[in-house]
Amino acid sequence: MGFLHSIGEYFILMGRTFQKPSKASLYRKQIVYEIDSLGIGSFGIITIISAFMGAVITIQTASNIDSALIPEYTVGFTARQSMILEFSTTIIALILAGKVGSNIASEIGTMRVSEQIDALEIMGINSASYLIVPKIIAAVFINPFLVIWSMFIGIFGGYAVAYFSDAVSTEAYLYGIQYDFKEFSIYYALIKTVFFAFIITSIPSYYGYYVKGGALEVGAASTKGVVTSSIVILIVNYVLTQILLI
Amino acid sequence: MIELQNISKSFNDKAILNNINIQYERGKTNLIIGASGSGKSVLTKCTVGLIEPDNGSVLYDGKDFTAMSVDQRKEVRKEIGMLFQGGALFDSLSVEENIKFPLRMHASMTEKEMQDRVNFCLKRVDMEGINDRFPAEISGGMQKRVGIARAIALNPKYLFCDEPNSGLDPGTAILIDNLIQEITEEFNITTIVVTHDMNSVMEIGEHIVFIYKGSKHWEGNKRTILSSNNEELSNLVFASDLMKKIRKSVTTIS
Repeated sequence: MGFLHSIGEYFILMGRTFQKPSKASLYRKQIVYEIDSLGIGSFGIITIISAFMGAVITIQTASNIDSALIPEYTVGFTARQSMILEFSTTIIALILAGKVGSNIASEIGTMRVSEQIDALEIMGINSASYLIVPKIIAAVFINPFLVIWSMFIGIFGGYAVAYFSDAVSTEAYLYGIQYDFKEFSIYYALIKTVFFAFIITSIPSYYGYYVKGGALEVGAASTKGVVTSSIVILIVNYVLTQILLI
Repeated sequence: MIELQNISKSFNDKAILNNINIQYERGKTNLIIGASGSGKSVLTKCTVGLIEPDNGSVLYDGKDFTAMSVDQRKEVRKEIGMLFQGGALFDSLSVEENIKFPLRMHASMTEKEMQDRVNFCLKRVDMEGINDRFPAEISGGMQKRVGIARAIALNPKYLFCDEPNSGLDPGTAILIDNLIQEITEEFNITTIVVTHDMNSVMEIGEHIVFIYKGSKHWEGNKRTILSSNNEELSNLVFASDLMKKIRKSVTTIS
């Protein structure tokens, strides 16, 4: 029952969130702030993780190909497909759910327990809309750029392995990353990213918005926000893959 | 004037407020007192619409707030200022931006007019020159004063103060009390103060409502409270030996 209650409460909150905003000009300023806070601030961690994941995928694939019948360019092909189809979308979304999700839940939760949300309501402001909409819009806008950046850096990480080691030749790697390329893979990745961006921001916002108590409860809400959004990302990933690729 | 008519509220079948009727008069400092857990904060939240009462009506100058639509309530809320227990200043905004916030949302002012209003409000609470500081950089007492400055930014008709003295030293607490009373008289507003600070009761209690176990148990002012025979009220207000002695000496003199 608690689970169903939470789902109902989440959709009621989303209903309030997407009501007509009190003053659009203030939202624009908030959206710019959130793009910087949630998106630009994540470029560093995404660069590091993507580069190493691309490198590791390349080494793993190269070291597991024993058969002479499998061409060498398969390494580049596998690195590209892994990065575009799953790593840069789903794994990056899970990482952002941890980084951005905990940030959002604790920020909104702290505002709740310190009565800042009540202060907004007293001023006649739709607090759900004012606090959550800019985060969702910012993430939906900036996350596709983060994902494309991750794809580029991951594939470049694989190239660095080819260049600095003899796991695979650079010519074979470059041929592999261009082999049988389908544009739809990128669209598929970006469609998933938009769904994930919504999940990463809205679910932790929900847990933060309804927190009751003090610092301990804010911490618990932050954890719940990250865990729930990670599970929902995995479920939605499965559903979207089933719909879009099969 | 704010009028509460038959306000009741329960949580999980536990009655928190029982059929409360109160009139808060304009130009007066109205105090709600009661022990912790007596229901005074819930009563205040019902009054401003943060919690919906199960029964009863809240009338703002005769208009039924509880029967209003969301948009109609927004219009009334533009006339409400509230000082929260912890100040509730927005952490990410400077003092100046905190005070400008309600102005940006509701007033059609130029940037210059807003700046002048901010400076006026800060001067009124004796906090000039801290415009660029953030809430985390100022003391609890200063946060309360900035909270009052933000609450009066839109020239409210109604001012609510939830435990304005909590966490403050006695000297600062008296300053805050006096500031609230001065502002009430100066702007002729209806002020409601939730407190269990007995210095406040004696200092600014022009109209006092005592809430006991979710019901209105006594009503009076700072003079009549001294002669009250209400046992529960006496146990709260005159709990310390010092307060008992003060009461005895005052009643003996009078």
